[in-house]
Amino acid sequence: MYQSESVIRNHYNNINDWLDQMTSKVILEKNAEAETHFRNIGITFSTNNETARERIIPFDLIPRIFTYTEWLRLERGVIQRAKALNAFLADIYNQGEIIKANIIPKEIIYKKKSFEPSMFGFSPPRDIYSPIIGIDLVRTGPNDYFVLEDNCRTPSGVSYMLENREIMMRMFPDLFHNNRVTPIDDYPTRLLQTLMSLAPIKCENPEPVCVLLTPGPLNSAYYEHSFLSDQMGIEMVESTDLFVEGKYLYMKTVDGPKRVDVVYRRIDDDFLDPLCFNPQSVIGIPGIMDVYRTGGVNICSAPGAGIADDKAIYIYVPEMIKFYLGEQPILDNVETWNCEKEQELKYVLDNINELVVKEVDGSGGYGMLIGPKSSKSTIDEFKTKLSTNPKGYIAQPLLDLSFSPTLIKNQVEARRVDLRPFCLIGEQAQLSSGGLTRVAMNEGSFVVNSSQGGGVKDTWVLAE
Amino acid sequence: MLSRTAEYLYWISRYMERAETTARLLDVGYRMSLFPNPSGYNNEWESVLSAAGAIEGYKNKYDTIEQKNVEDYLFFDESNPSSVYNCILNARNNALVVRTSFTPESWLAINKTYQEILNLKEKKFTKSDLPDLTEWTIEQVNLFRGSLSSLLRNDGYNFLFLGLFIERADNSARLLDVKYFVLLPKPQYVGGNIDNMQWSILLRSLSSFRAFRWAYDGNITATKIADFLVLNNNCPRSLSFCIQNIVKHLTNLTCSPEKVGRIYNNLKDLNTKIQEEKIETIVEYGLHQFVTQFIRKISSVDNEIHKEFFN
Repeated sequence: MYQSESVIRNHYNNINDWLDQMTSKVILEKNAEAETHFRNIGITFSTNNETARERIIPFDLIPRIFTYTEWLRLERGVIQRAKALNAFLADIYNQGEIIKANIIPKEIIYKKKSFEPSMFGFSPPRDIYSPIIGIDLVRTGPNDYFVLEDNCRTPSGVSYMLENREIMMRMFPDLFHNNRVTPIDDYPTRLLQTLMSLAPIKCENPEPVCVLLTPGPLNSAYYEHSFLSDQMGIEMVESTDLFVEGKYLYMKTVDGPKRVDVVYRRIDDDFLDPLCFNPQSVIGIPGIMDVYRTGGVNICSAPGAGIADDKAIYIYVPEMIKFYLGEQPILDNVETWNCEKEQELKYVLDNINELVVKEVDGSGGYGMLIGPKSSKSTIDEFKTKLSTNPKGYIAQPLLDLSFSPTLIKNQVEARRVDLRPFCLIGEQAQLSSGGLTRVAMNEGSFVVNSSQGGGVKDTWVLAE
Repeated sequence: MLSRTAEYLYWISRYMERAETTARLLDVGYRMSLFPNPSGYNNEWESVLSAAGAIEGYKNKYDTIEQKNVEDYLFFDESNPSSVYNCILNARNNALVVRTSFTPESWLAINKTYQEILNLKEKKFTKSDLPDLTEWTIEQVNLFRGSLSSLLRNDGYNFLFLGLFIERADNSARLLDVKYFVLLPKPQYVGGNIDNMQWSILLRSLSSFRAFRWAYDGNITATKIADFLVLNNNCPRSLSFCIQNIVKHLTNLTCSPEKVGRIYNNLKDLNTKIQEEKIETIVEYGLHQFVTQFIRKISSVDNEIHKEFFN
């Protein structure tokens, strides 16, 4: 919000005035109102550390604002990246041109667990493997945006993007009269259009039947699953609701079996089909992969799409953009050291005090080391881990994430934020004009994950 | 509609209905506890427990019947599957799964109820809170029912109301079964002290206390009350009203006519009988037998609905 110590960036002026005229009493009331609203609609989540009562993510009243021009660049950059990631998937599961061109070494791809051999030689509708991509961005200077990571499997958080806006509009209608905020509430409609545009070859239905496949109410993103299927008006199914017969997939309805054309799955590859993946899985649909490969159904995202957001593949995304699209990357990667390479490992070990070390397969802010903020013993622990299993880690510099004003105990304080916008690719590629801003609620913290005490904000993109 | 969705909708309204019944029973028990207890008279809390189908569970947990324990057992106890708390919890967990087949208002009504009962449960409550708790429950259930009026009139709607009326038919019949002896004809008019209490329990727990006075002229007789609760189609908790509505929502289903037909065939006779029978004939035949058969029939219809639609 601030340009320097005390100069407010232009587009935050309105918000600053609004904050000035709010008393602490009003702030307290509005905070309580937001919390009650989130509990009532049921937008709760569970963490690895289970307690009896469902938790809600702390919601900060002060929105984060992007100007139209700022957003235009992010939009182009995210879409460019999403296209390149899909092109990469289409390539490695077919000709493998990028490997032949010696841009990415083949071991990095083919030995990964997230690479799915059964996808080899198969092309999904429109060659789209990952129709919904969430790109995590951080800002370190006025116009310096970096991509922290890509999420190509089943990125979550879009329900927060939509609900945060709903609650803001409800609590502060005047803010929306006085600011020209681009609406985002058409996201579910666009998502459904995207899914319908990815109908399988054998689908004859002009309006393909889509379903959302959820692992069930115990999943931490269950609210989002029901929210999205409700908004799209499609069935939310569990795997026991589906079965394969002949070369098609059906759901069990009170009318009898009904054919399903597109499955927006929110479960992991391993749990899709016990015949093909994990035979121990009780939550799969036996035979669905066979139906998929013969064009009877489409599965979004495609099995094996996860290879594209692997932290070891991340390093090569700028190269992919040049290779597949012939363009210069609009958004930069964070400089990343691949500990698998001997020289880079040496650099990481020598400079570990200044670096952030992440597990290649980790997520949710678990299992990472923030060098400058860690004790000597934790650092030594990570040094041992790195030396014994270098393949399992990457390292990045500690980025000075941008701050956003945040209400802490009724005072406006600076807290670090990141941003996850959501990109859809089907018949066309589009970016929703907003995203999920996550904020590190603890003073000085760099970790914005909700599992680690992070909160969320409404994210505004101002109209032109 | 997914079979699982239909099943969950059906059970949501069963649970909400049951929560109301339990709350009403508690309210009745509470009123009775304020009246002088005639010596040699059965403990009213015991018949409240029987009517709620919770007597066995209660006796496994407590040695003596005491108001405080009965209240807690029927309202909050997690080990009692029909406690108001468990009904709301189950309704909410089902609603979480099928909220897409609801209006947002219906989900909100159930989820708010759930959030509030969590808070109520954390607080210690005293005897005098009971009327607030039962009133609150009835309000919440009404909020939920009200929200249903804006639903699409599709099969989901009919499954919700099938569940509601199956549950209500069962609850009303069980209550009649516990109290049937009050309704047997007696030489004199009903109106002695004990009887007075007894039939007021029955009517109040079926939320029909005042409605009865409006529906029938003249003296209160056991036969009139029996007629009201068994055969009167204007009484929204009578057995005949419930059957009528089960038939209505069953035959309104647009899915699988052959399944609907099979269930209807099983129900047809009972429906015809209850619409044409005179209360005197039923009493002569044996009210107790009639009610027992009725309960059995409802349970078999419930089984068939599960078998035909939810599997």
